[in-house]
Amino acid sequence: MIIRSVSHVQINDKANHPTASRPAVDLSVDLAGLKLSNPTLTCSGTCGYAFEYGDYLDLSRLGAFVTKSVTREERPGNEPTRVVEVRAGMLNAIGLANVGLDRFLDEKVPLLQNMPCPIVVNVAGHSTGDYVETCAAMNGLDCVAGVELNVSCPNVKDGLTFGTDPARLRELTRAVKQVLPAKPLIVKLSPNVEDITLTARAAIEGGAQILSLVNTFTAMSIDIYKRRPRLTNVTGGLSGPAIKPIALHLVSRVYRAIAKAAGVPIIGMGGVQTWQDAVEFLLAGASAVAIGTALFVDPATPQKISEGLASYLAESKMTSLSELVGALELPSPT
Amino acid sequence: MPRGQFDAEVLANERLCDEHFRLTLAVEDFPPTWPGQFVQLACRSLEGADDPQVLHEGSPHAPPRFAGEDLTATQAFLRRPFSLAGRRDHRGRAELSIIHRVVGVGTDWLARRMPGQRVNVLGPLGNTFAMPPDDGIAMLVGGGVGIPPMLYLAEALAGKKAIAFCGALSRRLIPLNITDAAPPPKPDSVSGLYNVTEFSKHGIPGVLCTDDGSWGYRGYVTDALGAHLDQYYVGQEALRRLTIYTCGSEIMMKKVAAIAAARGVECQVAVERAMACGMGTCQSCCIRVRKSDPAAPPLAGREWAWRLACTDGPVFRGADLLW
Repeated sequence: MIIRSVSHVQINDKANHPTASRPAVDLSVDLAGLKLSNPTLTCSGTCGYAFEYGDYLDLSRLGAFVTKSVTREERPGNEPTRVVEVRAGMLNAIGLANVGLDRFLDEKVPLLQNMPCPIVVNVAGHSTGDYVETCAAMNGLDCVAGVELNVSCPNVKDGLTFGTDPARLRELTRAVKQVLPAKPLIVKLSPNVEDITLTARAAIEGGAQILSLVNTFTAMSIDIYKRRPRLTNVTGGLSGPAIKPIALHLVSRVYRAIAKAAGVPIIGMGGVQTWQDAVEFLLAGASAVAIGTALFVDPATPQKISEGLASYLAESKMTSLSELVGALELPSPT
Repeated sequence: MPRGQFDAEVLANERLCDEHFRLTLAVEDFPPTWPGQFVQLACRSLEGADDPQVLHEGSPHAPPRFAGEDLTATQAFLRRPFSLAGRRDHRGRAELSIIHRVVGVGTDWLARRMPGQRVNVLGPLGNTFAMPPDDGIAMLVGGGVGIPPMLYLAEALAGKKAIAFCGALSRRLIPLNITDAAPPPKPDSVSGLYNVTEFSKHGIPGVLCTDDGSWGYRGYVTDALGAHLDQYYVGQEALRRLTIYTCGSEIMMKKVAAIAAARGVECQVAVERAMACGMGTCQSCCIRVRKSDPAAPPLAGREWAWRLACTDGPVFRGADLLW
C-alpha cells in the first residue's frame, strides 16, 4: 500500500532530487513541553500498552505512543460482543478492560522503558481519588512523558460524568494537576455534550495543558432479525472515518473559541486515516493528530501520515508544521 | 522474517460450492506458518480509502471524473480474519490457500477478486495446533467454514494416523472436492473413506456428514464423531492415543469438547470470534478461559480470565474454555 502523495517527492532521497536546495521540513512539535519528533500519536485503546504493534509499525517514528487506559483497579471489561462494524467505522464497548495500576507498574512500565518514542499514559477512573492515585504514580516515572485523562469513556457506568459536567471536570483536572507537576496534562474531551466549549474551558481552567479532541460518539447498531442491539452493552462508541467531519468541526470550534487564545494546543482525533485528514485537522487548529481505528486496518498509518505531511509541506514550500496550525481561512462575514 | 503487512497477488479464486471460495494468494517472503494460524485480509483496496481524487482530464471545463472507490458503496472497513487452509512454498514465494464463505460485503469483495489482482495480507497471526505424539491418532473435526484449518493440519500431519470428520448443512455447502472414483458414503456409516481429495492425498480418510443427509452420514458431525469413537475406540488404552482437533460453529465445538472431555481425550479448539485488529490491541475477540491458579492475575480471585482469540488463541484446550 502506498500513500497517495501530492507529488513524487521523496524526503531524504537526495539522489533522485538534485534540487537539494529544497528546505528541510521540520515536523517536530512542542505541545506544552511534550516534545514530539512528528505530529502523529496513537489513540488510547487502539494500540495496547507497548509493543503490540512492534512488528507492524516502526515505533521510533511515532510522535508519541498513548497507552490503553489505566484505572486504579484491574477491570475485566464488558461481555462480548464488544465491537461491531458499521458503515465507514465501528462501534466499541470494551468497558475499559485493563490491567489496573499495580500490574501496569509491574508488567507494563518495564516494557515502556524500552519504547523508542515518548509515552503518554491514558488514565481513567471512577472517582477523583482513583484518578489522583493513578496520576500521582505516573508523576514519578521517567519513562512517562505525559498523562492523558480519559474523562469521556462512554462505555462504563459513570464514565461520562466527569466529561460532561464542566464543574466536576474543572475540579478533577485541578486535583490531578496538583499531583502531576512534572508532566504535561492532557484532557481528552467527550463529544457527547451539548456545548464542548464549556468542558474545554473547564479543563483549561483546571490546569489542562493540552486538549485531545475527540473521544468516540455514543451510538448503536441493531440486529433487525433478532430485534436486539448488536453490542451486548447496547450502546458503544462510534469511531472511524464516519466521525471525521464532526470531529473536525469540534476541533475548529474549540480552537477558535478558547484554545487559541489560551495557548493550549489540541491533539485532533476522530477518523484520521490519511495525511490529508491530518492536514485538515491541523488547518482546523490541531497541533498534532492521533490515529486510532485506522491502526486496526493499517498499523503503519502514523508513519505514512508523517511521510505524507513532509511531502505536502515541501510541495507547499513550507518549512514548519506550525505554519499550518489553525491556518484555516474562513470566509469573511457578509 | 517478521510478520507484517504483505501485498499479495491473487493466483486463483475458485468456487468450491454454493457459498465457499478458495482463494490462492502469492506472497513474497511470507514468514513461516503452522496450522491453526490465521491472517487478516483487507477486503477492499486500502489505497485512497475515503479519499477520491477528482481528475480533470484535458480541460477544466470537461466533467470531472472520480478516481477511487464509489463514494456510495458499502465497503468492509475493518479487515476480516481467515484461517490458513494450506500453504505451498515455491522459490521464496508462499502460496496461501484461504477458503472463505461469502456472508457479507467483505467476503463478497474477496469472491470477486481475479487472478493478478492484489489483496493486502496482515499476518501470520495467532498460535498453532500442537501435533499429536508420534504414536498418536488425530481426529480432525471441522464444520462448514471451520473445515479449512483442518485441511492445513492434514498437510502437516502427513504420515501420521488421522481421520477427518467434516460437517455441512448440505452437499451444496461442503467446501471440499469429492472424487467420484471412491465409493459414495452411506448415510449411517461413520467409517472413513478416501473420497475427499484434500484429505486423501495426505493419506487421511474422511467422514462426510450433512444435516439433511444429501451426502454422507445423515446428521451432525458431532454424532458421527461420537459414534465413531464408540465403535472403534473403546477403553482407556485406545482413547489415550487420541487427540481431537476442531473448528466450526461454537455449538458444534462445544459438543466436540464435551465428547472429548467425557472420554478423557485431549481436545484442541480453534475458536472463531469477531475481531477488529487481530494484533492484541482492540480487546474485542475475548473468550472466557479457566485459570490454572485462580489466585494469580489477571483478575486475581476469579476462576476465569478473558483471553484474546487473536494473540492467546485461536487454539485453546477444550477443557480450559468456559464459553
